[in-house]
Amino acid sequence: MRIVIAEDQLLLREGLSRLLADNGFDVVAAVEDAIALRTCVAELRPEVALVDIRLPPDFRDEGLRAALEIRSTFPETATLILSQYVELAYAAELLADGGGRVGYLLKDRVFDVDEFVEAVRRVGQGGTALDPQVVAQLVSRHRQGGPLDRLTAREREVLGLMAEGRSNTGIAEALVLTIGAVEKHIASIFMKLDLPRSEGDNRRVLAVLAYLQRDPPP
Amino acid sequence: MSGPLAALTDRDTYRGLLFLSAALPLGSLWLAALVAGWALAIGLAITPLVILVVIGAGLAAELAARAESGMARQLLGVPSYPARHRGGLGAARNPLARARAVISDRAFWNAQAFLGLRFLAGVPIAIVVLSLFGGGLFLITSPVHYRWIPQETGSHGIDFGIWQADTLPETLLLVPAGLALLVLAANLIRPLAAPWRRLSYRLLGGPMTDDYRPLTEGQLQRGLVIHGIVVGCISFLLVAIWAFTIRGYFWPMWPVLALCLPLGINAWTTLTLTRPDLVPPRLGRGFAIHAGVTLALATFLILIWTFVVTTADVPNYFWPIWPIVGLTVLLLGHLAIRLTAPADAELKRRIDVLTTTRAGAVDAQEAELRRIERDLHDGAQARLVALGMNLGMAEQKLATDPDQVRQLLDEARQGAREALEELRDLARGIHPPILADRGLGAAIAALAARSPLQVNVSVDGERPPPAVESAGYFVAAEALTNAGKHSGAEHVDVHIERNGGRLVVEVTDDGHGGADPSGAGLLGLRRRVEALDGRLQIVSPNGGPTTVRAELPCE
Repeated sequence: MRIVIAEDQLLLREGLSRLLADNGFDVVAAVEDAIALRTCVAELRPEVALVDIRLPPDFRDEGLRAALEIRSTFPETATLILSQYVELAYAAELLADGGGRVGYLLKDRVFDVDEFVEAVRRVGQGGTALDPQVVAQLVSRHRQGGPLDRLTAREREVLGLMAEGRSNTGIAEALVLTIGAVEKHIASIFMKLDLPRSEGDNRRVLAVLAYLQRDPPP
Repeated sequence: MSGPLAALTDRDTYRGLLFLSAALPLGSLWLAALVAGWALAIGLAITPLVILVVIGAGLAAELAARAESGMARQLLGVPSYPARHRGGLGAARNPLARARAVISDRAFWNAQAFLGLRFLAGVPIAIVVLSLFGGGLFLITSPVHYRWIPQETGSHGIDFGIWQADTLPETLLLVPAGLALLVLAANLIRPLAAPWRRLSYRLLGGPMTDDYRPLTEGQLQRGLVIHGIVVGCISFLLVAIWAFTIRGYFWPMWPVLALCLPLGINAWTTLTLTRPDLVPPRLGRGFAIHAGVTLALATFLILIWTFVVTTADVPNYFWPIWPIVGLTVLLLGHLAIRLTAPADAELKRRIDVLTTTRAGAVDAQEAELRRIERDLHDGAQARLVALGMNLGMAEQKLATDPDQVRQLLDEARQGAREALEELRDLARGIHPPILADRGLGAAIAALAARSPLQVNVSVDGERPPPAVESAGYFVAAEALTNAGKHSGAEHVDVHIERNGGRLVVEVTDDGHGGADPSGAGLLGLRRRVEALDGRLQIVSPNGGPTTVRAELPCE
């Protein structure tokens, strides 16, 4: 899988390149600012762009803006945002087009190499990878009395993992359940939240995200 | 309980009532003392005895001022006064120097101004307030006592001119009217006491920073509208009564005229308070209000004169000239003070304010840096030490005990994650990145998402300058944190708007109130806001709700 990295800190850039190369990715470029990132993506057409939000020259949200631009001009390149902060507002901007192929993770997630590599791969294959903190904030917007209250504790766990972008197999592994049990929970969640049935892991994830992003009823 | 009835059960209402009605005995006493003192001083002006009179006056003014400020502190909840009553006490030994010290002491003159006002403004206000309360109580108890009120006709009852209440059902009708009067009176106490509170602090102490449950612009305007409607309704009613009864002499003009005077003064005061940009800064709001009141009084007197001259057969001597001359002299005096002293006094006050707020800002920054240092030391630094230690041990055991190495590495990873988490929280507390990137709306929405409470956020207007934006953010953040921690609230409203040249941040929760404005968090906020020339108001009566409101100039 061909990948471009945009990260301004040298240590982290080198570290990420090594980590991904060790895990079978083809790191075609590692750049330090948003302008270089745009040219790289335009020339090399990688499958994944791994982007830090804060990049030179202003160290604000250049990376995020570049990522949004890449999403609209080169939709075949998946974008994975890696940042020191997670903000719901940024997640909403990334998810706004509802197209998937997107990820938003805290830099801490790199500590768990296997999960991180799996997330990059998932995004590259058209899936999503949302940080558990983003998911927790999305869920907490829906407070008492809403439809989310109708879910059982287990179903909430499944919903959270699904919103992170995990496949049924991934959820089953994380919760130590059989795939059949996971599917049953998912069917029940969709029924309780009154969501349209959709086939395929990814479409289901997007439906859940769209639901969670909806403004909660007052 | 809330709404207009709340004032009836509020202890502050009765404290305020006590303070306002105390003007009847005290105001008269002060006036007598002032007149006597001045008469004595003028009479003895050419003799050396005047020195003793002045020293005595200084002592007397100070004692009176202490009595008044003590009362305001007890009854109006004025925060403690800075020590400014130096007066004649303990100054120089030499009588001449002492007398000079008394005369050159501003506190002496300020105290006299306050004592004079306590009579001039205090007595009429006390009469109005006591009449309203008394009238209300009288009407409420009328079913009990009406039979003992003798009428000219020989029967018993209460005579309203066009209608007599002389049976029990009739007097029962008066009870709600009496209640309404009581509610009106109770709600008048705070607005009437508030200027006294400020005046007392201004004249008997130093500059006042905190307001007595401030009225918002909206409340002022709503109050004016209600006032207008009430006056309109009463006028209409009076004219209708006139039209449907004997007609003849158009008597309603008198009560209507009397109602219009306070309405006009209210309208003018509201205008100067809500549109400060209309007032020339050199003249100041106090002078603008004074000028408006003078004009209203003059018009009032001239109208009375016109009515009398046109309707009654009396010699048309233009008597209003004398009070008008008096009022004009007062106004001109005020103008002269504003125009001569102001540059200096204004500048001096400004320097005072700047010195205080700068010291506050430095203190706040110092405290903030200390907090950050402590957090780093206790948090991330300690975790990194532990992490390094784990890695060292892992290296040592690499060959001998791979199982323990795995465990050590796992601990190291966990420690790194926690250190990162703490650093992230710390950095967010210094300046949240989303604030710079997306402005107040997104930053406060992010705060709201993390808060355990139900938070409504509304943010209007363009982005203010960064320093103002960040102060506004921290006001909202601190207020939200406090609401979550201490208030027992469930809902919080955060409202932010650009209002003229100001950014207004208002956070209201539905908790049980009683927030301590001198707590570390709120004190730090106040310093931060005041360093930007802003104002922070915290209104948190016991029982709630709590409102934290910051106004920050941004131009």
